[in-house]
Amino acid sequence: MISAKKIPAFFLLMLGLLCGFAKNVWADDFRILLVLSDNAPLYQRFAKAFEQDVPKGMRVDIVRQAQDFDSQKTDLIVSVGVRAAYRVAEKSSQPLLAAMIPGKAYAGLREVKQGEATAIYVDQPWRRQVEMLNAVMPKRKRIGVLYTDAQDIAGLRSELARRQDTLVARHLGGRDTLSSDLEEVLTESDVLLALPEGEIYNANSIRNILLSSYRHGIPLVGFSEAYVRAGALCAIFSTPEQLALQTANAAASYAQTGKLPEAQYPQQYSIAVNRSVAGTFGMVIGSDEAIFLQIKKSSGDTR
Amino acid sequence: MLFLACKTGYASDGVSESDYYQELPVVLSASRLSQPLSDAPNAMTVIDRKMIVASGFRTIADLMKLVPGMYVSYYKGSQPIVAYHGTTDQFSRRMQVLIDGRSVYLPPTGSVSWADLPITVDDIERIEVIRGPAAASYGANSTQGVISIITRDAGSMDGKSVSYTKGDKGINDVETRFGKRGDTYDYRMTLAYTADNGYDSLTTPPNGYTMATFKAPGLLNNSNDSNQARMLNYRGDYHPNGIDRYDIQFGFNHDVQGVGFSDKNPSIYNSYMGTNGDPFHDLIGNSDYAQLGWTRQLDHGAELSLRYSHTRLDQYEAFPVYLVGVYFPGPVVQSMQSSRDEIEVQHTLPLSDSNRLVYGAGYQIDRAGGQSAMPPISQYYSSSYVYSEYRAFAHDEWRISPKWLLNLGGMFEKDDLGQFNTSPRIALNYHVTPEQTLRAGVSVAYRAPSTVETSYPLLQPGALYIPAPVMNSPGLQPEKLVSREIGYIGEFPDWATSIDLRLYSDQLSNGIYLSSTAKSFVNGMTGEYHGFEATVKHEFDQDNSLTVNFAHAWAASNGVLLAASGQKIMASSDPANSDILAASIPSNSASALYMVRLPHDYSFSASGYYQAAMQPFDRGAIDYQPIERRIDVRIARALALAGGVKGSIALVLQNLLNQAYTEYIASNLFNRRGYVTLTLDW
Repeated sequence: MISAKKIPAFFLLMLGLLCGFAKNVWADDFRILLVLSDNAPLYQRFAKAFEQDVPKGMRVDIVRQAQDFDSQKTDLIVSVGVRAAYRVAEKSSQPLLAAMIPGKAYAGLREVKQGEATAIYVDQPWRRQVEMLNAVMPKRKRIGVLYTDAQDIAGLRSELARRQDTLVARHLGGRDTLSSDLEEVLTESDVLLALPEGEIYNANSIRNILLSSYRHGIPLVGFSEAYVRAGALCAIFSTPEQLALQTANAAASYAQTGKLPEAQYPQQYSIAVNRSVAGTFGMVIGSDEAIFLQIKKSSGDTR
Repeated sequence: MLFLACKTGYASDGVSESDYYQELPVVLSASRLSQPLSDAPNAMTVIDRKMIVASGFRTIADLMKLVPGMYVSYYKGSQPIVAYHGTTDQFSRRMQVLIDGRSVYLPPTGSVSWADLPITVDDIERIEVIRGPAAASYGANSTQGVISIITRDAGSMDGKSVSYTKGDKGINDVETRFGKRGDTYDYRMTLAYTADNGYDSLTTPPNGYTMATFKAPGLLNNSNDSNQARMLNYRGDYHPNGIDRYDIQFGFNHDVQGVGFSDKNPSIYNSYMGTNGDPFHDLIGNSDYAQLGWTRQLDHGAELSLRYSHTRLDQYEAFPVYLVGVYFPGPVVQSMQSSRDEIEVQHTLPLSDSNRLVYGAGYQIDRAGGQSAMPPISQYYSSSYVYSEYRAFAHDEWRISPKWLLNLGGMFEKDDLGQFNTSPRIALNYHVTPEQTLRAGVSVAYRAPSTVETSYPLLQPGALYIPAPVMNSPGLQPEKLVSREIGYIGEFPDWATSIDLRLYSDQLSNGIYLSSTAKSFVNGMTGEYHGFEATVKHEFDQDNSLTVNFAHAWAASNGVLLAASGQKIMASSDPANSDILAASIPSNSASALYMVRLPHDYSFSASGYYQAAMQPFDRGAIDYQPIERRIDVRIARALALAGGVKGSIALVLQNLLNQAYTEYIASNLFNRRGYVTLTLDW
């Protein structure tokens, strides 16, 4: 259904189509400034995919280090990563499309950002994560999480309640209590769901977390492919390329309509399953495709 | 790590996209993960920590009672016999026993000195028991099976723990353990003292025997069988980066156990003017080990590992003797030294998504020797043997299709004695559905003769067998076992039940036995073992589970022929069964373990053990083991004390109903015993 607010945009689009040059309506004058947090491979991957995904004719200029950005005249700024987003917010009030940013970080950004802004989140919605747990291990009903104040787990709690799963949540007592807090969660849970909390889950701590959970016979569910390689049972995540495509589409839509879309979760995502780990836990898990389709169906994702 | 560095400098709550895309080290690599039962080329029983705790057992050997078809018994209070189907003499020579990959099956007797192992039950993370030969992976001496003990990780504890156990039969154990997890180094350490008085000194005869039988010289009086062990073990894990891992282990055990018998001692029960070369005395053992391991993660899931280990056991005894009724106080002194140094390199190489190759090579040096001084008969000798062995092995796991899995492997061993053995194995697993697997396998395994077998001492006072100075059976060939098996593994998630079945047929050739005529060990025993085993596990709910094991077995050998040809040692003592091998296997055996978590932090477990009647292989008719039944229970409560101190208090009652339960020797009557353990962790 087309809402009243969208009529001008729709009208313009129709007009463009009728005139037969829809694809080129902005071609020569729409400029995007892509601001990367830094030149790490992650952002390079995003930039490369983004350049390929934007409609032909759009001009994309790239600032490869966030600190090099200073207010520059352009039609739309696309920031990649938290650091780039905050740098742009600090220096410019032009429309901002903040890509690859955690929802929590974006909420903080909105408090300081002047002018229009929207976001393509890096994190997956709770519902999708819960549907993945259900698709991979429907019998494991007690979902353990270890969290800090950086996370709002109310959404997770209600999603789990909807599926009659139990949330076993433990607030991290402090840096020194990670081991004992983790032990407590593991004793009460059937699965440990990792949350993107640098204080808990990082390259140094992951070893002990994975080994502890393995000792307890509790699989860890991660939030990136690296987790699955490290020894997590499975993960749901979006690749930089998937986020870049969604960002390019949002930029194109803005170019057409002049309006930024609502901040949104990733539309495209992938799953990964560590079959060796599943085998060790004696789990019989369907194919990646079957799991993916089930998640898509039950979480109401149409794309 | 690069991404971590750029996390600072903005005013968010600290969560950034770098958390989502950071690189992580591979932690649960292929070698860390235990192979799923449905993919394994052998039948396997896993005893995990939960089962270890719930069983209430204090000794590692007792845990083997939870393995279908395993015979666990005791020659003396601290000298267990663990054997998988048959040929159960005092030295269960046909089982390979590993601790973290290090063989503790030591020369010269080629058996495991369980009391001298420098680990306690609490140091164990899990035990994987391969039922059936696995020489293709584990080399010679795994003809009957492999007990692979995996100790707790260096990073398994971050804190301190003290536990104290006090109970009947002098049970008195103290254990302290502490550990620390660090960014690049984890360690844990155990200091323990364990003690008990073994079996009761019997005042009434066991098994319904008369007092006259009980006092007769044929029945061993086994009341001097106390044991005290003082031990230390340490495990460190240095992981400086995500690629390399260094495992550092060492340990020590000083064990004093009561040995000897009073049956022929004129001063005790009878006036029989006999000869007793093994009266009550102490056997002192010092054992230690050091192990260094290095594992490197390579690209594409490949892994390279290198392991060196040193294991040593020295034992000593001194005792008076009675010779035809004459007492000689001047002691017989015997000491024995054995050690092994071993180095092994292994490369795990995924050839494709569906094919994984593990291959490697190893070298070991075994040293065995001893001294025996017998002044009463002016006999003195010492012996020293050194053997080295090379080996190479390869194992390929090929997932031909999602349904078919082929395990193909082989071990090639060459030793100084000129033996060259090839132990191949092939096993095919067919996943009928993802939950149902059929397995068929054939393997060949060899057991190298032990030093005591090649150099059998003619005089054996005391508890130790000091190898003779010169080999008296230099041409002894390895025993050969060919095993065929069919297995079934079924998971029934809707009923929370899993089933593991196995049907096997094993052929033993070149079996080694002690010739009554030659007074030395010779080849020439042949035998066959057949059986059926089942394990059923059921989870009533997440806090409530039951495991049931059952085994049915039968055997046949050329024992009757050998006995007829004058080999008295091969004559069966069982009047109902003239085949010594067949008589030595309990036709049926079973065990069950039930565990439940109760409200208010209580937990309860009960276990039951059953073994059909049998005649121990090298014992007389008096030691015939009637049907054995026993029930053990454990009740525990978790404690949460002030100041973050946690812990538990547990009561274990073994042989709750005080059923007549004897082990191997008729006078080893296992009466009801109870003990309480208090543990504090902080």
